[in-house]
Amino acid sequence: MTDSFILGLSSGSACVATCGIVMFPYLMAGSAGVRRITTDLLLFFMTRLIIYFLLATLSWNFGQALFMNPVVRSIVPGVLYIVFAVMLIWYSIDRNRKKECPARLVAAIDNRRLVPLFLGVVNSLGFCPALFIILTKGATESTLLQSYETFFAFFIGSAFWFLPLPLAGKIKKKKVLETIGILATGLAGIIFIIKGITSLIGGLING
Amino acid sequence: MDNNMINKTMKKSFGKSLLYTLPMFLVTFVLISGGKPDFSNLPAALAMMVTFLFMNVLYFMMHYTGKTDKFRAILFIIFALSLSFTLINNMIEMRHSMSFSQADVLECKIPFCHLVIPMMIIPAAFTKSIIFPGSIIGGFADISSMVVLWLVATLVLGRGFCAWGCFYGGWDDGFSRFRKKSAIKKISESWRWMPFAVLFMVALTAAMTLGPTYCDWICPFKAVTEFEQISSIESVAKAVVFISLFLSLVVVLPVLTKKRTQCSFLCPMGAVNSLSNKITPFVVKIDKKVCSECFKCVQVCPLFALSKEDVKNGKASVFCSKCGKCVDVCSKNAIHFGIKGVPAGTMKNFSRNLFLFVSFLFISVFSAGSIINAVQSIFKLIF
Repeated sequence: MTDSFILGLSSGSACVATCGIVMFPYLMAGSAGVRRITTDLLLFFMTRLIIYFLLATLSWNFGQALFMNPVVRSIVPGVLYIVFAVMLIWYSIDRNRKKECPARLVAAIDNRRLVPLFLGVVNSLGFCPALFIILTKGATESTLLQSYETFFAFFIGSAFWFLPLPLAGKIKKKKVLETIGILATGLAGIIFIIKGITSLIGGLING
Repeated sequence: MDNNMINKTMKKSFGKSLLYTLPMFLVTFVLISGGKPDFSNLPAALAMMVTFLFMNVLYFMMHYTGKTDKFRAILFIIFALSLSFTLINNMIEMRHSMSFSQADVLECKIPFCHLVIPMMIIPAAFTKSIIFPGSIIGGFADISSMVVLWLVATLVLGRGFCAWGCFYGGWDDGFSRFRKKSAIKKISESWRWMPFAVLFMVALTAAMTLGPTYCDWICPFKAVTEFEQISSIESVAKAVVFISLFLSLVVVLPVLTKKRTQCSFLCPMGAVNSLSNKITPFVVKIDKKVCSECFKCVQVCPLFALSKEDVKNGKASVFCSKCGKCVDVCSKNAIHFGIKGVPAGTMKNFSRNLFLFVSFLFISVFSAGSIINAVQSIFKLIF
């Protein structure tokens, strides 16, 4: 759970940096006060959590069906960890990265009440390398409960970055925080590369 | 002609330089010898005298030539080398090896260093325990004395600790001086925030695992101090990480970039010291009226602390370690050591003298033990 939380906490900054610009105005637009902002954020978080639990169920069942052999169960996720972690590192150091977020589609929604729900769905399904890593981890857990715990820890870690969204206008040095967060994402990628190599070596030794 | 300008402003006459050195001479003598030098052990007394005189000659030269960085770097690099030598020597005497075993960890015999401090804070606050297997009081490099020393230094010098106190910084400072010109020139400024990302990750993982993760997995200086006994695949992996980080960030990149890359891109302590730079009285200031915007200071800064924008804004960034390299290279004498609250361009000599006294005193006293030890060992080898 620790590594999932760390991954969520480090990659959450990049997520906010990419999608926050789109999400913030929609979540906050027309809001009269703290109550409305809190309700919108709660709805947004709740939707994300539900989606994550759905993904946890799917990935675990997928893992159970695919990784029957214990050697395959070590080697395949090991390779996937390394591939996704490299993608994550590349994502953090690529200076030409395009800041595109599916949350832009929110403009098509007419009913304002549905906006937080819609944003929750697109944000949790915005497949980034960090989510791929968590999907791999969820697929290799021993029990479904552990898979839920993995996704929950990832959710809690990434949710930290969304909490100050209502105060975004008042936060100074946003650019600096964004840079530090993105670099931290790269470091989280290194942790998962080590995890992948360990899993791979374990699989090869047992095989 | 430009150099004459520096000399006119910062250089002092022989007599005046001697006069400025006298207080340092007396204070370091008392602090290094304890006021009562012991001449019964001749090699030890000789080593003490050589170290003491050497340090004061360097301090004299800083005043006499008006240059700071060159003489600071000599002491700083010797400090780093002698500390590693002393540490290795001590460990070989105590354990007959540079590596430590699990028994040493359980008996809390691991020497403490300041890099652990950022990792200790959160676990100490929540569990009221220290996550490092070292001695709290007493013994070689105990935790309490190191924390107090670092705290005093960082409150007074801020990130100046990284140029005037850190016993590791001398390694990449030394290697960054190997070439006359840098082979790699374009490095994105974003990377200078990397130590903050490392600090964030290290503090977080240390808090969650209740272990000194930086020392366990990352610290490049394990390669020249102590390391875990090779007894498993994990310890082999750690040794590979330590050695590759040391070779890349402390040796190869400093040589190629002429920058202190380990301090600029990895050290979490550098991030903490950068934050403390905000509260220290000493700063590096730029007199915008005199500055010709040649940006030589930006080129030579070893820690990416100066950007063109910083120069235009008239102050060094929080990353500044007050090493004095930019001050020495400025032909217009526009960049100088200053004191907070005092306008740029005023009280240049007073500020420099005060800063030099405080910072040099710190490095002299802090490094004396290791240097004396190393000199004594050299004497033993020769005679």
